[in-house]
Amino acid sequence: MRSLDRFNHRGGWALIRNTWQSWLQHRGFFFLLAFGWMLPMLVYLFIWSAAAGDGAVAGLTRGNLAGYYLALILVNQMTYSTTNWTVGDNIRYGGISAWLLQPISPLYHALSQEIAGKVVFMLFSIPVTGLLALIVRPELSLTAGQALLFLPALLLAWALRFFWGYWLALLAFWAARADSLLALQDSLIFLLGGHLAPLALLPTWMQPLARILPFRYMSAFPVEILTGLLSGREIWLGFAIQAGWTLLAVLLTRLIWTRGVRHYEAIGG
Amino acid sequence: MPQPMIQVKDLTKVYRVPERAPGLKASIRSLFKPQTIDVPAVTGISFTIAPGEMVGLIGPNGAGKTTTLKILSGLLTPTRGSATVAGFTPWERKPDYLRRISMVMGNRSAMNWDIPPLDSFRVLAEIYRVDPQTYRDTLDELIALLEMEALLKKPVRNLSLGERMKCELVGGLLYRPDVLFLDEPTLGLDVAMQRRLRQFLHKYNQDHTVTVILTSHYMADVTALCQRVMLIHHGQLIYDGALHALAEKLAPFKLVRLQFSAPVRDFEGFVAKFDTVEILPQENGHPTLRVPRALIAPVTAQILENLPVADLAVEDPPIEAVIDRIYEEGTV
Repeated sequence: MRSLDRFNHRGGWALIRNTWQSWLQHRGFFFLLAFGWMLPMLVYLFIWSAAAGDGAVAGLTRGNLAGYYLALILVNQMTYSTTNWTVGDNIRYGGISAWLLQPISPLYHALSQEIAGKVVFMLFSIPVTGLLALIVRPELSLTAGQALLFLPALLLAWALRFFWGYWLALLAFWAARADSLLALQDSLIFLLGGHLAPLALLPTWMQPLARILPFRYMSAFPVEILTGLLSGREIWLGFAIQAGWTLLAVLLTRLIWTRGVRHYEAIGG
Repeated sequence: MPQPMIQVKDLTKVYRVPERAPGLKASIRSLFKPQTIDVPAVTGISFTIAPGEMVGLIGPNGAGKTTTLKILSGLLTPTRGSATVAGFTPWERKPDYLRRISMVMGNRSAMNWDIPPLDSFRVLAEIYRVDPQTYRDTLDELIALLEMEALLKKPVRNLSLGERMKCELVGGLLYRPDVLFLDEPTLGLDVAMQRRLRQFLHKYNQDHTVTVILTSHYMADVTALCQRVMLIHHGQLIYDGALHALAEKLAPFKLVRLQFSAPVRDFEGFVAKFDTVEILPQENGHPTLRVPRALIAPVTAQILENLPVADLAVEDPPIEAVIDRIYEEGTV
């Protein structure tokens, strides 16, 4: 018999298809969830548009703001990790035992939910954002260079947000309600990740904080690239910070997973 | 003797459990200085099981049955002792090991509830890398044995408990494991479904020489399936051997069921004359006595002579009652 290793892509792919089918059973729920995530962004779009009037705030016109927030709606949904909320439950209620007993890395289960979820959300969000664009009329001068840089920034933003939330969720091995940390992460993204306001509109003392902490790189950073808000130097510096945080998140995930499973084996699921 | 499939030596598992007194003050104190106590779940258990053997692991709730199965399946690391299953150390959880064992739990589902079982089976086949031909053959065989053709396309959520258990078994056997750990597989099932699953397990075990450890609260499962039982009590293995020998060893008494043709005054007083005879709780208004084997003749003679007996039956105690007595007394 061929030796098995934990990185089993065939099994992983089958899991993705399966999760996707199962989630489509509940698409109504996920569409409502996606709609709920859009609303705050739309509220802040209207507030800042009103503030801009026919002029601009911090250099952003109504059309710029519309472009920024529509892109943010999509980026937020592509990077938001619903999986992290369920990982904690799985650990608390012992569902993780079934994962540990399979000859495949449990990360595949989490990733399959991530990928399947994104497909389901996009089925809803892309058409709705398209419709919204007809109403709020974004101004977006997209260059090929911006589009090209946007993609890796988006991918890293997803990876950073996923792994950052994952290591927080894994603390459920020790503390039953570790998911409160996920709520804190969401609040910080809301505040410092360009949701409440584009970074340029934050108070001056808050801006350096937002640029150094990981939360901007989970959501606003790719949007800022796409909407042309950043200079070349700011983009490269941003990528460096984003990559650094992502690497740290992956390392923390590995460390906490190994320790957590050892703890789980000691106390029993 | 063939190489044993499962070899366990001096296996011990001690849980460290947080403990605090009730009340707000104690809960605040425990925030700063958490107290823990050590709770031994399994203490110094040793046994070996040959390939193809089907062994019943019995014991009251909290005796250490599930802990033992979790250690053997690799979900728990023991505090002390060693175990080898199919040549592997379980808690290393090597993929090659996981491929050879299966753990089916009656109280926990490994199926995705939103989609039909057939879809879940396909994913399992991919995860365990079962080649398409073997997958089709195995699935056909299991489906025929369990008579579950009609269930395959309904979402698991809409299946009954018994139907779901059939799916769990298919999922657990799809990759033809060599060792099967069954934790309470008939939990909550009706009598007919219990019997069907027993027949299935019996046939499957014969056809495929799979090694099985089964825990159950239903003695009928164990008597129907296992010639050998291991009895765990307070984390210790207090009996390991043939089931029928256990019953004989443990039941040095018989039951005498009585029916009277007229009311009897001071029956208790009459029975109290025999030191070692006990009156059991009544069923259907007829008294039952527990009588040591040696005293059966004199006791029944006395009863027949002195009491208005309509019917008298001498029986072996049901295995449940035997086990129950050990659970209470804690020794064999």
